[in-house]
Amino acid sequence: MTNPIQTIKDLTQSALGDINAASTLADLEKVRVAVLGRKGELAGISKTFGSMAPEDRARAGQLLNEAKATLEKSLEDRKHMLESSESDQRFQAEWIDLSVPPQGIAPGHIHPVTQVQDEIEQLFISMGFRVLDGPEVETDYFNFDALNIPADHPARDMQDTFWMTDGHLLRTHTSPVQIRALKKYGAPIRMIAPGRVFRNEEVDASHEHTFYQVEGMMVDRDVSVSHLIYFMQTLLSSVFGRKVTVRLRPGYFPFVEPGFELDIQCLICGGNGCAVCKQSGWVELLPCGLVHPNVISNCGLDPQEWNGFAFGLGLTRLAMMRYAIDDIRLLQSGDLRFLNQF
Amino acid sequence: MKFSYNWIRELVPGLKMDVATLAQQITMKTAECEGVHDPGAFPGASVAAVARAENSEPDSIIEIDNKSLTNRPDLWGHLGMAREVAAIVGLSVVDPVGELPLAVADGDLSITIENANLCARFSGQRVENVKVAPSPLWMQYRLNSLGVNPINNLVDVTNYVLCELGQPMHAYDADLLGDAIVVRAARKGESILALNGEKYALSEEDIVIADAQKPVGIAGIIGGNDTAIRETTKRIVLEAASFPAAHVRKSSSRLKLRTDASMRFEKGQDPENTVRALARAVELLKQISPGSQAAQPVDVYARKSTPPTIQLDIDWAERKLGRKLSTDDVINIFKALAFGVEQAGTRKLVLTVPSWRATKDISIPEDLVEEIGRMVGYASIVPQAPAVPAAPTARNPDHEQHSAVRATMVGQGFTEVSNYSFISDAEADMFGYPPEKLLQVANPIIAEQKYMRPALLPGIRRNLADNSRFFADFRLFEIGRIYGKGGDGAPVERTHLAAAIYGRETNGANLLEMKRVAQYLAPGSNVAPVKGQSKTMHPERAAHVEVGGRQVGHLYELHPGLLDRGRAAILYLDLDTLQGLPAQRQNYRPLRRFPTSSFDLSIVAGERDLVADLESKLRQFAGESLVSLQFLLIFPLPPGKKSVSFRLTVGAEDRTLTADEVTGIREGVVNGIKSSGYELRE
Repeated sequence: MTNPIQTIKDLTQSALGDINAASTLADLEKVRVAVLGRKGELAGISKTFGSMAPEDRARAGQLLNEAKATLEKSLEDRKHMLESSESDQRFQAEWIDLSVPPQGIAPGHIHPVTQVQDEIEQLFISMGFRVLDGPEVETDYFNFDALNIPADHPARDMQDTFWMTDGHLLRTHTSPVQIRALKKYGAPIRMIAPGRVFRNEEVDASHEHTFYQVEGMMVDRDVSVSHLIYFMQTLLSSVFGRKVTVRLRPGYFPFVEPGFELDIQCLICGGNGCAVCKQSGWVELLPCGLVHPNVISNCGLDPQEWNGFAFGLGLTRLAMMRYAIDDIRLLQSGDLRFLNQF
Repeated sequence: MKFSYNWIRELVPGLKMDVATLAQQITMKTAECEGVHDPGAFPGASVAAVARAENSEPDSIIEIDNKSLTNRPDLWGHLGMAREVAAIVGLSVVDPVGELPLAVADGDLSITIENANLCARFSGQRVENVKVAPSPLWMQYRLNSLGVNPINNLVDVTNYVLCELGQPMHAYDADLLGDAIVVRAARKGESILALNGEKYALSEEDIVIADAQKPVGIAGIIGGNDTAIRETTKRIVLEAASFPAAHVRKSSSRLKLRTDASMRFEKGQDPENTVRALARAVELLKQISPGSQAAQPVDVYARKSTPPTIQLDIDWAERKLGRKLSTDDVINIFKALAFGVEQAGTRKLVLTVPSWRATKDISIPEDLVEEIGRMVGYASIVPQAPAVPAAPTARNPDHEQHSAVRATMVGQGFTEVSNYSFISDAEADMFGYPPEKLLQVANPIIAEQKYMRPALLPGIRRNLADNSRFFADFRLFEIGRIYGKGGDGAPVERTHLAAAIYGRETNGANLLEMKRVAQYLAPGSNVAPVKGQSKTMHPERAAHVEVGGRQVGHLYELHPGLLDRGRAAILYLDLDTLQGLPAQRQNYRPLRRFPTSSFDLSIVAGERDLVADLESKLRQFAGESLVSLQFLLIFPLPPGKKSVSFRLTVGAEDRTLTADEVTGIREGVVNGIKSSGYELRE
């Protein structure tokens, strides 16, 4: 009579061989049934235990359990391996060329001036400035008189105006929103007003009768030139994405006193002088100043108590600088060959 | 405005600064310098030859932006700029005007100012025994390099004084001028032949200088031809006067005549300068028309103003600039700028404004802050964030709406365009806009700018036509203002959205795609078919877009007659109306706990019966058991019929419907549909 213990060992060895030899899940299942099944070989051996001495029986039983565990573990491992190799094969067959251009509608594009405007709005909102709007068809009171530009003021020559037949005009700058904001909300206030403005002039590559500005104003107690420079430096560093050096020099605008032209150090040459800055190292960027006390009092506020700064930034110009656009007419052309680049 | 570097050096002795540095300093402290260049070519002699002949160094011309001199009438002459330069570099200026002769109000000239509002001061002086000849080379050279044409010695002297002192002058031939000079408003119907050969019809708003018979000059703008200097002139009357800025500007723009004189007067010239200008001119005439004999100047000073004084609190100025200021520095700055300085406390000054800065330039303490700021240099101010209360920023719901709409449109493949606010007559006609309802531009440059757009569509149509040359299919949109007249006739602006899907070959197939976009933009919106009205819509392919029963816009095919080729689906929304609607927010409904049942129905309907009508019938007959109604498909059935298929899903909140119940509901629907006059396809 064969030794059951030896039989278990032999069977385990040969079953392990069969498991590793199984190349499909179906073959593996056959091995499992043959060895571990209810009528399998290990089950057959356990039937022979009845004739054994009790101590041998215990030993054989323990051995049998160990063999079962070993084989089950081995079966499980092999099963996983075969499964993953089968899914691997299936996945292999499911290869897709993701370099193929997608079907359907490609995303559209936001106008470059809108993009610049949005950025500036977000920046100023983050610094506590509210974003306001005003009418484009204005009265000469808001566009000129209230801004300290009376009818016979030579400063009106600086801005060629579109007039309506009913006496209204198209705003020549976003500055009237300063007046509307102060009248409506009073002080203190921090606001910007982006929008479309108009100048009655011939259109060419560098002149447009329709363009965009953003007006900014802060009115509070003891607002100073140093605050103005702070905001301008913050604004321009954010717009150009790097530290920008600014300088103020005298400029004349009737609604500010003192008034400034703000220049930035040329970003192309770093201030050494180049064609863009006409060898000066500086590029004129925006007019600004401390709000004229007449403007404050025109809005019903006491200029002894309240003062502030204001600035006007050309959004169109900024977009042109950023994207190196050399023909201003493209911006209002509606030409998708141009607009789809942004 | 051109400045001669050499001339400034003559007026500021000891000035060593090279011209490029000087120009830069002027830019930083006074007014914008646009460039430095050599004097222009001089007819008949080279620049170098003139310089050699005059034993002087070649000159340089500093070009200053006129716009930045708008508020500085004193800088429209070299003396004014020399004063600035002297203050900047810390030197003194020499006054080219010598001792002033005593002027009388009543002399050998009769001068009458009818209204002091029309002329603050008029000074005149007879000069006898003059001889008309070319000016000496140095004077011609200097005038020429400043862009003034040399004419003859008498005229050149007046122009030289203009360039030097900024005071416009005029020289009359005394033999052609009547005895009495009157400054008055022009009379209705008067006209004048001016020095430039043009005849000007005058209005009562113009100021003239006249003799007993007629006007001899338009005040502050140009002299008359009949009394002008000619070859034979033997004696002259010199005029130096002060005219009100606003009047001169108004006349100059009405007559469309801008002269060196009018440009200066409209900035507000210093009346103190008139007699000084006469004295300087007489002195120059002695040099260049030897033998000339000047009479006593006659001076009528109709309205003299006292030099203004302004209180300055230096601590207040510190707060304005955001920079420390020492009292001594401030005092020195104002002394250098020729202000009268009086100390009125440790940190308080009383400043007397020099007459040449008092006309329009400096009148309030804020003006003084600028003087201090530019002289200490704005670069000395350290940027500083203000201390302000931390509070949420007030939002702008309109901009938030526009951003959200843009994001949606871009996601749906639309590119943003920006069109002009103007439309032409032809466009108003093409789109059927009644002109009387449009805002009209009074002074358009071109015909395309005649009206303000009452809708975005004309621009969009141009975009479609333009881009169709390059693209077979595209999508674009615009968010922009439209303009109209309100009930009271006042202008009204609203913000609209116009979107277009263009297809060269699509024949209108994009309309349902556009309907999908509408539902993205305005969730819950209803598209209700209507007959296309107006010239813009395809008559059979148009619908209202409604939200909560309120019309917010249109969905339609652009009238095919408006495009040369291709078709375009248009979505047009009034964003302001949409913005004004109440927010649609509702509580959630509990998730369904019991299974539902579905069945399909195909209804045979007339070719032009609306699917929406079938849907509402189905909802009506299915009653409250209806969980969802899904449109499946449509196909045509000849003749003049179509089959429309739906899937109805039914259920109950509290149990599973039995097969009999579902059948019952189905029969109810089928009977209802049949009794409504439709058939069912089995």
